[in-house]
Amino acid sequence: MPALRGVLAALAAILLLALSGAAFGHSPRELLSILFSGSVGSAFAFQNTLLKSVPLLLTGLSVVLAFRAGVWNIGGEGQFIVGALAALLASRYGAVAALLAAMLAGAAWSSLASLMRLWRNAPEVLTTILLNFIAIHLLGWCVNGPLREQAAMYPQTDLAAASLPRYAGVVIAVVAGVVAWWLLYRTKEGLRLRATGFNSSAAEWAGVNVRAQLARAMAISGAAAGLAGGIELLGVTHRLFERFASGYGYSGIAVALLAQLHPLATLASSFFFGALVTGAGELQRTANISSAVAVFGQAVVILVLLGFEHARRAR
Amino acid sequence: MRLTRITKTFGTHSNSTRAVDDVSLDLERGEILALVGENGAGKTTLMRIAAGELAADSGAVEDRGAVGFVHQHFLLVPELTIAENLALIDPRFRFATRRTLEREAAAVIASSGIELRDVSRRVAELSVGEKSKLELIKAIARRPSTLILDEPTSVLTPHESDELFRVMRTLAAGGTSIVFISHKLPEVLAVAQRVVVMRGGRIALETRSATAQDLALAMTQSPLPAHGERVRVRGALILEHANLQLHAHETVAIIGVAGNGQSELARTLRDRLPHAAHIPEDRTRDGVIAQMTIAENLALRDVKNADEIIQRYSIRAHGPRRPAGDLSGGNQQKVVLARELDAHPPVIVAAEPTRGLDLDATAFVHARLRDATASGAAVLLITSDLDEAFALADAMHVIYRGKLSERMTPEEASSRLANLMAGVE
Amino acid sequence: MLDALVDVIPLAIVAATPLLLAVQGELVVQRSGIINLGIEGMMLVAAMTAVLAAQTTKSVLLGFAGGIGGALLIALLFGVFVIALKTDQIVTGTAINFLAIGATSFVYRELQQGAIFVQAVPRPRVDYVLPLAWIAFPIILALFLWNTSLGLRLRASGENPEAVAPVARYRAIALMIEALLAGIGGAYLALVLSSGFAENMTAGRGFIALAIVIFGRWKLKGALLGTAIFGLAAALQYALQASARGVPYHLLLAFPYLVTLLILCGVAGKVRAPESLGR
Repeated sequence: MPALRGVLAALAAILLLALSGAAFGHSPRELLSILFSGSVGSAFAFQNTLLKSVPLLLTGLSVVLAFRAGVWNIGGEGQFIVGALAALLASRYGAVAALLAAMLAGAAWSSLASLMRLWRNAPEVLTTILLNFIAIHLLGWCVNGPLREQAAMYPQTDLAAASLPRYAGVVIAVVAGVVAWWLLYRTKEGLRLRATGFNSSAAEWAGVNVRAQLARAMAISGAAAGLAGGIELLGVTHRLFERFASGYGYSGIAVALLAQLHPLATLASSFFFGALVTGAGELQRTANISSAVAVFGQAVVILVLLGFEHARRAR
Repeated sequence: MRLTRITKTFGTHSNSTRAVDDVSLDLERGEILALVGENGAGKTTLMRIAAGELAADSGAVEDRGAVGFVHQHFLLVPELTIAENLALIDPRFRFATRRTLEREAAAVIASSGIELRDVSRRVAELSVGEKSKLELIKAIARRPSTLILDEPTSVLTPHESDELFRVMRTLAAGGTSIVFISHKLPEVLAVAQRVVVMRGGRIALETRSATAQDLALAMTQSPLPAHGERVRVRGALILEHANLQLHAHETVAIIGVAGNGQSELARTLRDRLPHAAHIPEDRTRDGVIAQMTIAENLALRDVKNADEIIQRYSIRAHGPRRPAGDLSGGNQQKVVLARELDAHPPVIVAAEPTRGLDLDATAFVHARLRDATASGAAVLLITSDLDEAFALADAMHVIYRGKLSERMTPEEASSRLANLMAGVE
Repeated sequence: MLDALVDVIPLAIVAATPLLLAVQGELVVQRSGIINLGIEGMMLVAAMTAVLAAQTTKSVLLGFAGGIGGALLIALLFGVFVIALKTDQIVTGTAINFLAIGATSFVYRELQQGAIFVQAVPRPRVDYVLPLAWIAFPIILALFLWNTSLGLRLRASGENPEAVAPVARYRAIALMIEALLAGIGGAYLALVLSSGFAENMTAGRGFIALAIVIFGRWKLKGALLGTAIFGLAAALQYALQASARGVPYHLLLAFPYLVTLLILCGVAGKVRAPESLGR
């Protein structure tokens, strides 16, 4: 049962975290209690978790949509950044325009990889990763150069001209999750997308234009990641700086896999990872345990799920 | 080598085929034996068991010795050179320069008696005939006591085929048993000392002297079904492709031994005719999408009323929301049919639509196709099942090596068929 | 500026050495048909284990051995999943990277409290790694891949796995070779180029290595050339920084990735990956 596997994977991650802590002399009970209280134990913690979950939900959806079509979109990081850049530039026209620009930019960035695949057979696994790096350096150039703040003190931009209410992102992200579910399971487009992901040759015989479908899936996927960047800019950070993306794009992979590639389940899995990240931050503050354990937790979840999938296939 | 009562079944519990059915065969030293039959007759499976690549479900293989097997599909590494591909045979760990490998390769080639020049060429650059020769050299290099060749001449020019036969005779004279799998009767008669015909997993005929007609008949079996007068008014011309013409209200069958270009033809037509219905040949790979439900599979062509379809097509399923992969082969095919035919398309291209199906499912499929032509569609039936072709078709073509024969009536076809399919004519 | 550039070339070569080792390791592995995105994580872990080993034993040599050991552990984990369990190579590689970042940062912080990483790291007197990486290894690997039966089978595994059996053995050997090289590279990074471990110190070298493997068309000469070019581009930014022109710095950093994208699109002739890469 897929939900059970997800829960087991999540538990395995927590367990390994506690064990690793114990190996270095921390009390597992204390470690777990800090994780818990630091993520959902207080109203303040809960709010932080919620805010961290938003970009994870959207980048998770981005990966879900791509993987469901059988496409390797590892470019969430770059699409996130480009989306935020576009949102910044379009923010003078209002928040809605900015978010739309973010989605368009994300879709365009991912479509670069599609184009390279369609035109020159370049594998999107590599092109999307390369585009991540290009986007990171593009951002670096922008915040140090043409988009640098007026005061010119730090490598960051000025405040965006528009902003979102603090929790607007949560609403948008949840709506996006529902829309993604509806798209995948209640529309013809989603049907074709899933068919392509399951068995592209059979889909071709059933009348699906597989090449076009893959390109569309990449574009939608990029749009979701771009939207994540736009919301993070307009709702949380309000300006851009060098380490803006800080792994949200890559974490989307863990979110998607824990959700077993179901859009509605990403609501839960993004919350789990949001809690993990926030709790890990608290761990670093109070117990001086590196907050990078959250990333370690993501890895354990993925590996456990991969193991389950092998066991299932081998049966 | 002695094969005694070999049986082998493939497939899952609900969906199995008996590929080899209680076959016994003795191979003698120094003899050239030809194993003939249509695709699916069991020849390759039997020989793979003989070579030890597959395990039989029951029966025994005795006195196997070293077996060389030249497969139909090359097991070569295209990016490596001829010399490197030959070096792969040697299991020892060695250090050798390119020049050493090339020298050794040239020596191996020379001792085989087969001509293959310039061993520094990459296999990807070789012609198909040369690749086939390389596979043969690889097999011979191990000095096997039995050599099995699976359709070796399907890609050779007549000159290369002659060369091959010379090599075979030399090897046989030296004591190697040679099994030569083929469906090309002229060659079989030219080089084999004994011929075994397989059909439906069993041995249909074993002989040392036969004519091409005898063999062809043994391969393609039963007396052709009698059919009554068919007065059918042909409708308008819907499609033209090469020397193929499809009219409304008619069924045209393209018959031939599998592997003569049927798949390519079906795919070309699929791409050329996006508004036609296409029933794919490879049901397991290209048919239903196993992970999606029956309703979802139907919905791919906008067929909405899944419950009603299940009733109408007598699909044995627990419901439209079950994964299509749970269904048996016959029922999966019904889903594909429903998906393609429900919208009453003007043209239907059906490739091997009843392959592997039981009698009931087959009858059902045929009935649906007849319904379609009755209501005005044109059906193009690509099949290797002659019973089916004669039962349904108003006109026929034979396909051989990618080319279609001229259009024939069923009467004309029945007398020329065996020869056309075996390439004799 | 040309003077600044020429001065900087030896520095560029030294700095690019870990990268070169990673490139060579990944090249061997990809030739056997596996794509190892986790090489980034492998080097990072190697850097940490190298420092740990060097500081506890006060020996540089054992430090390098420790680096190799760490890399082998990661290779083992990756290999079990990808070869034995046949899990998806991309996802597994990504997970390995996450694992490495999380684990090394975690351990680093823990051990800092015990003052392990604060001590000075023993430094080698002579740099043996440099000639190894730029001269010895390329020659040895080239001879191995093209002039031994083992290398032949390894290459065949990446092209047509059906023609060689058992493929698993050759892929495992390839991973071990990669671990050896990445282990030395990570250790060199931490012990020679830096003065110890720092969080995330590999800074994407693993991904750059992936790009260079493609740039070099999966050949060793190409690997050398590609690394040299990238090293030069990186060194160029030092030279430019000296002339207080920080702006093109970032675009210069993006330059290698742009070039690789163009290469992937076959701009400079057709790129042909090993046929069974990733399967």
